[in-house]
Amino acid sequence: MGRNKIQALAGVDLVIPPGSFTVIMGPSGSGKSTLLYLIGGLDRPTSGSIRISGDDISSMDENALAVYRRKKMGFIFQQFNLVSSMTALENVAFPMRFAGVPGKQRLQRARELLAKVGLDKHARHRPTEMSGGQQQRVAIARALINEPGLILADEPTGNLDTVTGYTIMQLLSELHTAGRTVMVVTHDVRMTRFATHVIYLLDGKLVEREQFEAASQIPEAATQPSEGTTL
Amino acid sequence: MRFFDLVSLIAYNLSRRKGRVALTAIGVVIGTAAVVLLVALASGLQRNATNQFAGVADLTIISVYPKWEEAMMVEKVGGGGGGGSTTSTVQQLTTPVLKDLAALEGVEAVIARDSLRTMGVLKYGRLENYAYIFSADTPDYSVLGYELAFPEGSLALKKGELLIGESAMQQFMDPNWRPGRPEVKQPENLTGQQVKLQLTRWTNEGETINKTVYMRVAGVLKAKNGETDYAVVVRMDDLTTWNEWAMGTRINRNKEGYEYVMVKAVDTRVTTTLAEKINEMGFNAYTPQSFVEGINNFYTIIQIVFGGIGAIALLVAAIGIANTMTMAILERTREIGLMKAVGATNRNVLSIFLGEAAGIGLIGGLGGIGLAWLAAQLVNVLAAAYLESQAAQMGGNAAGPAAYIAPWLPIFALLFSTLVGLISGLYPALRAATMIPVLALKYE
Ligand SMILES: Nc1ncnc2c1ncn2[C@@H]1O[C@H](COP(=O)(O)OP(=O)(O)O)[C@@H](O)[C@H]1O
Ligand SMILES: [Mg+2]
Repeated sequence: MGRNKIQALAGVDLVIPPGSFTVIMGPSGSGKSTLLYLIGGLDRPTSGSIRISGDDISSMDENALAVYRRKKMGFIFQQFNLVSSMTALENVAFPMRFAGVPGKQRLQRARELLAKVGLDKHARHRPTEMSGGQQQRVAIARALINEPGLILADEPTGNLDTVTGYTIMQLLSELHTAGRTVMVVTHDVRMTRFATHVIYLLDGKLVEREQFEAASQIPEAATQPSEGTTL
Repeated sequence: MRFFDLVSLIAYNLSRRKGRVALTAIGVVIGTAAVVLLVALASGLQRNATNQFAGVADLTIISVYPKWEEAMMVEKVGGGGGGGSTTSTVQQLTTPVLKDLAALEGVEAVIARDSLRTMGVLKYGRLENYAYIFSADTPDYSVLGYELAFPEGSLALKKGELLIGESAMQQFMDPNWRPGRPEVKQPENLTGQQVKLQLTRWTNEGETINKTVYMRVAGVLKAKNGETDYAVVVRMDDLTTWNEWAMGTRINRNKEGYEYVMVKAVDTRVTTTLAEKINEMGFNAYTPQSFVEGINNFYTIIQIVFGGIGAIALLVAAIGIANTMTMAILERTREIGLMKAVGATNRNVLSIFLGEAAGIGLIGGLGGIGLAWLAAQLVNVLAAAYLESQAAQMGGNAAGPAAYIAPWLPIFALLFSTLVGLISGLYPALRAATMIPVLALKYE
């Protein structure tokens, strides 16, 4: 990377109200993940700024950014990213290690969260012994363990069948109802049902719904990059 | 992150890759074992060498002589002034000097020495003995480490008593012996026996005058490969009387002093510094300790060289650790990304991977110490028989273990192997710590 500069996002000017459920829609390569990673403090913008409840995370040093990631947000990945050698319970408790919480407390809290996502029976299972939907629920429990105000999910249903995907969406919606700010990247239009805001991205730019729908209806006209470049 | 959590996570990460950790650690095991065993062999050699020597000489004793060679230089510079005045330039070991020596820090005892300055023949029945006769001015010779060959004797001499070396006791001659006659039968134990000491002096006219003194043998000194083996030890007052008779003058110890002085240090550790101090006072001080220290320096160099050879093996192991850690970091890139996504700081990640590398070093070090210990036992069993026969031939103390693992050695080896692991893990761990989370998470 770095040989050819790709502008994944440009001129995205956006305010997400606290307590909202924002769905980000867009074709592959439109910059949805990039936007979410930037908000999650997992990537840094080359220019511009990102403010989360008043703090500019784009100008934070590495340590402050780590603290931000630990305390303020929970990230949910399309590929779940569970540690394969750890049980469900250990996976959920894992982030609390870096928060300096004692082991006993960690496991107790993790157990509560597993119960909350309906997996109290699976605490001792390893990721390979669970279905995709169960794994994603473990990942959601993990994202919640440090009680962040912001939940970021990058295509959380992308690796799941439609029924399972729907239950995951419902789970995310519940988090929103409980008062959290939720941002979900998805291809699934059903997700917009739970949303308070929907954002459309095309080629790294924010567009209006009409413009977006026009582009999706005539795929030949849309400037879609070849499939191979998406990760 | 709590320290305990860090350590338990490191242990967990190592335990889930047991096979690879073990394979990598084998290199460290061999390297550490080589370092420990080679250094143990070198220290075994060293201990045996110093022990053998310590059996012969008391390492706390410093022999102090007047600086005669300086007197000779003065004589040469002074030209033909006659020999008479030159002796006065040499600082003698007089009674006040002895007091000064006794006052030095670390001195346990100062013992004046003198020897018979004329001919003295020891006679036992028809047998004669020409042993060296000397006196050390102490009420009890156990201070000098003397030991009795037969328990019935005593090391504290009364007037008219003497001690005889075990070898000297076997050196009696029959003046009437002629070739073809049976071998002279040597006395088995002279303790408590009466012997005659025949002293001889010559008048200015060349006449010989003999004098016979009756002496009682208070004890026989155990053979130690030392100076007492072939000597006869007497009291200083007896010796002074005989010397005064032989020279026809009174001996003034305040002026002429003693032949030489033995200074006993409280500890072998202060012997050399004490000897240096006495040298600075204007005397010649000799100590076997300086010789032993020479041996020690030699073996310290051997230890360093041997340790260095072992360290090369450890260096190879270090490359193995670096390689394993680099591989691990590639394989676990996504995991690193995840750790960062859930709030691990760069320092957390660095500590985890450094800890894993150091852990491999530690495991290898433990294994290496165990292996070296086993090997040392084997070497010792094999060498014991050989060294014992060697000691029987050469005399001195019985040989100690051929490979000696000093208490500091395992501790040092463990620290060193852990450090090797830590250093090998430095570059991979830094790479892991500075990964950009988003790139690490997308890594396939
Ligand atoms: N690591 C990367 N290196 C280079 N280009 C990248 C990288 N990640 C994403 N991109 C590019 O940035 C653009 C946006 O990618 P992304 O945010 O992943 O899109 P989406 O999630 O909407 O599919 C794409 O053109 C993609 O090729
Ligand atoms: Mg994406």
